[in-house]
Amino acid sequence: MAETKPLSGGFVSLERVPMKRLFNNRPVIAALVVPGLLIMVFAMIIPIGFSVYYSLTNWSGIGDFQWVGFANYVEILTADPTFWRSLANVGILILVTVFLQNTAAFALAALLARLTPRWSRFFRTIYFIPAVLSVVVITALWGNIMNPTFGILNKFLSLFTTDPVTTSWLGKPATALGSVVWIIVWQGFGWALLFFYSALMTLPVELEEAAKIDGAGRWMTYTRVILPYLFPVISAIIVIDVISSLKQMEIIFLSTGGGPGDLTQFTAVYLYQKAFVASQYGYGNGLSILFVVVAVGLTLLVQRIFRTEGELA
Amino acid sequence: MKKIVVALCVAVLVTVGAGAQTKVSLKQGDNLPDRTSGMGLVFDTINSEFKAANPGVDIAVESYPDQPWQEKVKIYVAAKQLPDINKYWSFPGMFKPLIDAKLVQPLDKGAFDKLGYLPGALESNVYDGKLYGLPLTADCWVIYYNKKLFKEAGVTVPTTYEELLALVPKFKAKGIIPAVTDGKDAWPLVETFDNLAERINGNFGRVDAALKRTAKFTDPDFVQAATLLQKMATSGLFADDLMVSDYGASRNLFGQGKAAMYLMGTWEVGLATDANFSQDFRDNVDAFKFPVVKGGKGKVDDLVAWYGGNIFVNATGKNKDMGVKYLDFLAKRWPALAWEKQAGYPAQKVVARANDTTLAKTLLAIGSDAKATSGTPSLDRSDAQFKDSIQKAIGELVVSIITPEEFCKKVDAAAAKAAKK
Repeated sequence: MAETKPLSGGFVSLERVPMKRLFNNRPVIAALVVPGLLIMVFAMIIPIGFSVYYSLTNWSGIGDFQWVGFANYVEILTADPTFWRSLANVGILILVTVFLQNTAAFALAALLARLTPRWSRFFRTIYFIPAVLSVVVITALWGNIMNPTFGILNKFLSLFTTDPVTTSWLGKPATALGSVVWIIVWQGFGWALLFFYSALMTLPVELEEAAKIDGAGRWMTYTRVILPYLFPVISAIIVIDVISSLKQMEIIFLSTGGGPGDLTQFTAVYLYQKAFVASQYGYGNGLSILFVVVAVGLTLLVQRIFRTEGELA
Repeated sequence: MKKIVVALCVAVLVTVGAGAQTKVSLKQGDNLPDRTSGMGLVFDTINSEFKAANPGVDIAVESYPDQPWQEKVKIYVAAKQLPDINKYWSFPGMFKPLIDAKLVQPLDKGAFDKLGYLPGALESNVYDGKLYGLPLTADCWVIYYNKKLFKEAGVTVPTTYEELLALVPKFKAKGIIPAVTDGKDAWPLVETFDNLAERINGNFGRVDAALKRTAKFTDPDFVQAATLLQKMATSGLFADDLMVSDYGASRNLFGQGKAAMYLMGTWEVGLATDANFSQDFRDNVDAFKFPVVKGGKGKVDDLVAWYGGNIFVNATGKNKDMGVKYLDFLAKRWPALAWEKQAGYPAQKVVARANDTTLAKTLLAIGSDAKATSGTPSLDRSDAQFKDSIQKAIGELVVSIITPEEFCKKVDAAAAKAAKK
């Protein structure tokens, strides 16, 4: 065993030191951990600390402010229907992406996996285009498609009706939420498809063959063999879905701004509007802190569900 | 050799020193992204003239559409990066917080008194006895219309609210959108609400009374105004995309001859000279006074009018003296240039010319016919939170998520909340 002597500063000589010894040396551990820790402190802990501080004030963003204790939080939780509506909309988006988008993406990925490599690559590229486009471009694109006056969607639908269709998809209370959710799902679909496709590609052929020999039909093979096999991938996709639904801001902001009324309001948009449009910077920070709590709680909950289910499986 | 080197060094130092002395880079922020026509072009012209008159001064301009610029100012203030010169709004709800935070450089009112400002114009920028900004435009709420489309539909200019709504089926029969405005940003709907309320109660003071809590927004005149506004939307007067159509989109629909009317302020006098639109449109665009309501107390010459757009100097910027110098220069050049290019309706006296556009002549006439004016619109008379609340509520009203009574209740609650502060 090589003899190593600690250097004067407490560091060990790096020559021929077993990794294990190196990682037991405190200064080394500190040197490795501190940069990351500092980044986390400055990029996360301190800003959140500031946010908590301002959430306890009535600051408008300009000039002086007073300390108001938990008044902002009390108002948000007891007298702000918009906050609850925005959370409910986030919930709807999570449900739609988790159940509808993923089902469609999985079905399509399963189909693509059966195509010849050339065609499969062609279609994957097509389906992935929305995911590489800028959000601004996508929102403008769909805003134009859904425009009641010159939009192609109404023109197309009018082919099948006697009266011209003039629905304002993004402006009408009945269709606004569905329309923005559609745009979000359309943009995220490529990612879901890519994940499922890659997962299906890793599937051992023997697994399917074994199922076939055991007499399983195609439906049963997918539901009883392939889906359980893909469980880790599916759980990762769902966690990503939940996080991206919570973070959703740009498409709403650019298309409806949360309107008409609060019908398409999402929490991330709402807290921005409170802070920078309504000049309620303190209140906006209160919203953001509550939102962090909800987001972290929800993410932990989802992970917990999958951990237990994964153990059961 | 040594001497040459020293001489060279001295020469370089002198040049650098001289350069550093005169080089001033002014930052300017505004809500005029179109620099090819209208007010954006006028500003660029003034900037070039100012730079020519002040060698060594450079002006870096950043422009955004209205609403993003308002948000940007708040963010810049929070980040202590407010530009040196800012085009802004003189409304108490928006301007006062900046003044209170000592971000606005006070100006010498005496220096501007003789520059032909319209009555009350400079006063709209006076807070606590000090002048803080220069008003740029006199803003009146009118309805622009396309004479050619009116002819096509066989209709004439409406003088009452009822006649206005009666135009809807006639335009629709010709496949023409009756009217557009910027519904996405909601404030034009509030201006229209103010106008309707005055047409009913004949008293611009009612809004202020309701904000000061000596009257209520739930009073019958306001409820009736809300009912009439909602009916404008449900009758099909506005384009179906009212709530998703922003400033540029609605303006384009009108300028491209797709819509017959456009509810907007007189700052759009440049529609008649905007090269982005066809000559045919420019020849046919005109304006009329907001119609009266049958049985209402308001008269057609009671004008929703205010001095909105202004310009101010950042008091915390290192170039504030040069900024004030710029404002002096601007105040002298602005009215003539803005009117010459027919780009805006200046807050200073202008001389009508024979070759003014028909639209400009009409707008001047509407302004000089005015018997009573509203002053600051309701949404800008209180604080930002009230503004946000009334804008949101009016959006809900026009898409019929809420009734006129519910709208008035919401606005009244917001006014009560603002009054408490």
